[in-house]
Amino acid sequence: MGKYGDKSVSMNIKGVRFRPWRKYAVIYRSVLMENLQYAANIAMGFFSYFVFIFIFIKLWGYMYRTPGELIAGYTKEQMIWYVMMTEMMFFGSNAASVAGEVARDIRSGNIAYLMNKPYHYTLYILSRYTGEWSIRLPMYALLAVVIGTVMVGPLPHFRLTAVPAMAVCVVLGLTIHAVFKLCISLFSFWIEDATPFQWLYDKLILVVGVMFPVEIFPKALQPLLKMTPIYTVCYGPAKLIVDFSPEKCLEILAAQILYLTVGCVLMSLIYRKGVRKLYVNGG
Amino acid sequence: MQAITVENLSKTFRVKRKEKGMRGSIKAILHPQTEEIRAVNGVSFSVDEGEMLAFIGPNGAGKSTTIKMLTGILYPDGGRVEVLGIDPMKKRKQLAYRIGTVFGQKEQLWTHLTPYDNFRFFGAIYDLSERETEERIAELSERFELNAFIDTPVRNLSLGQRIRCEIVASLIHKPKVLFLDEPTIGLDPVVKENVRELIKQMNREEHTTIFLTSHDVGDIEKLCRRIIIVNDGQIVLDDSVERLKSHYQDKMAADVYARSQESGMAEKYEEAPNISLEEILVDIYRSEEDG
Repeated sequence: MGKYGDKSVSMNIKGVRFRPWRKYAVIYRSVLMENLQYAANIAMGFFSYFVFIFIFIKLWGYMYRTPGELIAGYTKEQMIWYVMMTEMMFFGSNAASVAGEVARDIRSGNIAYLMNKPYHYTLYILSRYTGEWSIRLPMYALLAVVIGTVMVGPLPHFRLTAVPAMAVCVVLGLTIHAVFKLCISLFSFWIEDATPFQWLYDKLILVVGVMFPVEIFPKALQPLLKMTPIYTVCYGPAKLIVDFSPEKCLEILAAQILYLTVGCVLMSLIYRKGVRKLYVNGG
Repeated sequence: MQAITVENLSKTFRVKRKEKGMRGSIKAILHPQTEEIRAVNGVSFSVDEGEMLAFIGPNGAGKSTTIKMLTGILYPDGGRVEVLGIDPMKKRKQLAYRIGTVFGQKEQLWTHLTPYDNFRFFGAIYDLSERETEERIAELSERFELNAFIDTPVRNLSLGQRIRCEIVASLIHKPKVLFLDEPTIGLDPVVKENVRELIKQMNREEHTTIFLTSHDVGDIEKLCRRIIIVNDGQIVLDDSVERLKSHYQDKMAADVYARSQESGMAEKYEEAPNISLEEILVDIYRSEEDG
């Protein structure tokens, strides 16, 4: 009798040495190791980020004619820092590649290899995603701080002590974003290509939450927009960075926890239903 | 003691159909048409613990679908499956701790990591302690002769080296049953022979049950005593390789004898040519095709 196979099962039943999160931590660590080899490749994306931010600095420079002027309640510095923060999250998370990976796994049949391991496939993907942004996001954050400080000037009323709370909101925002993108990707179990739905979701987030804050849009639309994932994914965390208040922070955190819970339940349901529909190409 | 029990297993897929050309493409959008394909149709068999079984058949016969149902990846439409006393559909994760899979055409290793880092990863995934993982890596690297390239990123390995690493990754948790889906595909004859030897050795020393699908007759002849042939989702033959060969040899001899009688030549019964397993399989597949 092989000793490990039998012991592992009893371990799971009796919980002798059962550490369910250890394997996800290992997946996270492996992605970190993999991505560390490509830190230089990640830095190649800095150019696109810089061009994007440069355009927005010039654009808002024209829009704000007098110093201290407010547009939708934002000063020029706050508006540019807002875009820099949302773009930092967008470039630094690379959620598109993770979502694409799920769709590819399902289409290519590679999911067969990933599903018959003793972990939950969706948590495996989320661990991979977290491993990816753990390298990318700090790099883009550093770049954003340098560009912002040099080209825009420091953020007015920025509180260094609030950084941990901001970081928690950013991390939760990225996770919610990944959970929703994953939910869309899991539709690949039913439809051949979920890319059009990904495209719609991405564009909604990009236009409404990333490029412009919600306050830019008509007043009648704003309550509706604040009920979408945009509020918890990018608008909320970025707004908190440019205009922090403890009350706002608690409000965003509560909404994020609610959204994360709903998103995870939805993801689990779609996965459970979808996996029964799996048709592995090539047998 | 039986490692695998399968009773009346069935699986049907719904596959999209499209008529030819642009007109067909437009029609497929407006009136999508699907067709039901019965991939597995009432299959029943059992495999003993420690047995090495070849589960073979022509392309599209239902081999891989069966493996995927045995490992809990696909849900059957009907029938009953038990692997090591576990229902794969109900307890896939629990079963995962006790089985290993190698799909020759798919990769499970992380290509940017070294085999060593991959094995440590799989050790953690299967809840092995650091010490258990290190011991197992040392043991398997020795047996599979991986030490020369264990610290080279997987993407830089040759196909033969990668397949050896794939097998080791599947064995890290000492599975009781190993499912091999075309494990030697694309390998050169020497590497194929090495891989077969290693599989045999593992079966001998660890009493691992081997469930093999392969189009390579060498894999079947050198590894398995028993053979199950499937076609159109049904079992058409379940016998020992030895008996199958001897039955065909007898049949061939009888044909030769009958022909010699008809032609009036005094050809002897013993002079019937030796028939290879490959020829036998081609004959079975062709006769199945002809109905």
